[in-house]
Amino acid sequence: MSSYIYISKNVDYKASARRPTRVSLWKSQGFPLFGIGNIVVWRYILEIFVKGLILAPVVRARNVWKSFRSGWFRGTRNEVLRGIDLDIEEGRIFGILGPNGAGKTTFLSILSTLLLPDRGQVEVLGMDVLRGGHGVRQRINISSGNANFLWSLTVRENLTFYGMLYGLGGADRKERVDEAIALFELGNCEKTSFDKLSTGMKQRLALAKSMLNAPEILFLDEPTVGLDPQVSLKIREQIRDIQREKGFTIVLTTHNMAEAEYLCDRIAFLKEGRILTVGTANDLKRNIRLGDVITVVYEGILRSIQLKGLPGVIDSCLSDGRCQFVVDSAQKRMSAILHGLWRAGVIVREVRTSETNLEEVFLEFSK
Amino acid sequence: MNFRSEWTKVLAFVFKNVMITKRNVFSLFEILFWPTVGLLSVGLLATYLRLGPDMTAFILIGVISMSVVHVCQIDIAYVLLYDVWGKCIKHEFIAPVNSVHLILGSWLTGICRSSVIFVLLAFFSSHAFHFDFFKPGVGALGLFLLGLFLTAALVGITVCILVLVFGHKAEVAAWSLVSLMLLICGIYYPISMLPAPVMAVAKIIPLTYFLEYFRSFYGFPSDPNGFLAKGYGFSFLYLGLAWIGLELVIRNAKRTGILIKLSE
Repeated sequence: MSSYIYISKNVDYKASARRPTRVSLWKSQGFPLFGIGNIVVWRYILEIFVKGLILAPVVRARNVWKSFRSGWFRGTRNEVLRGIDLDIEEGRIFGILGPNGAGKTTFLSILSTLLLPDRGQVEVLGMDVLRGGHGVRQRINISSGNANFLWSLTVRENLTFYGMLYGLGGADRKERVDEAIALFELGNCEKTSFDKLSTGMKQRLALAKSMLNAPEILFLDEPTVGLDPQVSLKIREQIRDIQREKGFTIVLTTHNMAEAEYLCDRIAFLKEGRILTVGTANDLKRNIRLGDVITVVYEGILRSIQLKGLPGVIDSCLSDGRCQFVVDSAQKRMSAILHGLWRAGVIVREVRTSETNLEEVFLEFSK
Repeated sequence: MNFRSEWTKVLAFVFKNVMITKRNVFSLFEILFWPTVGLLSVGLLATYLRLGPDMTAFILIGVISMSVVHVCQIDIAYVLLYDVWGKCIKHEFIAPVNSVHLILGSWLTGICRSSVIFVLLAFFSSHAFHFDFFKPGVGALGLFLLGLFLTAALVGITVCILVLVFGHKAEVAAWSLVSLMLLICGIYYPISMLPAPVMAVAKIIPLTYFLEYFRSFYGFPSDPNGFLAKGYGFSFLYLGLAWIGLELVIRNAKRTGILIKLSE
């Protein structure tokens, strides 16, 4: 009998600082797994499983501070990040939301080694960005909204140049450039110079450029800013499809709540250089306790006293033939509310529900 | 370290400068028009003033050297300036390249461009003013040109440093810094004519020694080997310092956020 145990996740990035590989961990040839003498073996297996189950973060930020000085003499210091702590797990799309000036782009720039923090520790793919910046840059890439490139070079020339910056040579570079052009449907304008491209095409070029080195982490800084809704939707779909296909990690900053809700597995909300909360979009909605809204149009006489004590109702209000309930979950509380209205002797004509959207959460956090 | 991959990164900057130069019709002015106009006007002035062959040689060596240094250094300056003008400088600093790739790639382009200019100007000066640039021999000429290219690298790196510290405001250094050399290093006159403090500065600039070295083959009294040694000595010393300076400035740019500001 032979047993193999495979761990498909890279357990310790710091130790290997390599891409996740499938590791043949242990092989026993007719070895009795059950028995008192095998405590050491079981302990070893358990340890590996525990490490494998807990995903190692690909981005780890601890107490990150950053300030900018303005003016040469007696300049003022503007604190942009104030002690950021954040872990981002592998293979996820992680969103960073926040109002203007919250520090989103600054934080992303630190993660992508474009800025150095004043204080704190930042590890990307197990490497310290202060000491191992070169190694980090080899394995990440970034794409920003309002993308700019060398304006007199064509799409293909720009991609060729950036491919060369990643050390891609000859046939390999051509293949990757061709692939990026095909992936972002840039074939029709590959010989067009950058300054003659539309905003949408410029954005696609930025995304194509960011895929050239097959990054393990892709940083997207407001990737759909300034684009019309149709192009934005298309780019969002492309981002999601590529992420699903390639399985890399995306760290995204955006002002667009629909984008965050559509793309992100987890979201951090940043305000005035501090992270206020981290979680899934649903977690954020729940935590903010705005609740879902159930609107009922009815016939009959209803008094507010009759609405007291309904489970899960955070708030309620009555007006002519219409009542509105703010509940923790519309799905959970609907039957109890309808039952309560029936007991109060009114005829329900219409029921509408609306969930809290991320935009409301954003506004609530921005206050 | 994969040598092939590192060499590709160097060639990336050659590719960038060559492609942009190819697209920019005004770059022809830099390569052909201004150096030729400069040489012809100075050469004609020398003819009008009935200067002897030695004095004509003195001035023509200065003019041609100036053009070679100017064109070579501007390619190094352009490697950052193109990105500053295109507001895309951050992309290069996010890629796994360092200052060696950046400077070496653009320097190689500069050497190619300025070599073309040198050949062109040497041809003009030979036909129009009977000046033989090859008189000292290929070896001496090679050492002289290498000295000019090293000087250009120094000026170019200094421009890059200024751009990374002061941003757009330092663009003008790409054209003005080299003109300072015209004044100090004895392009049109010997440095002995300069006031003592300026002469002291001229004596620590490598270009001064490379010019004196090459002029020694045209009958100007000097110590060629001593000049060459001093020229290269200063060049390598300053290159080392400039490199350290550039690295420090890049690090500082990552602290101050100027790379992001220049990309907005």
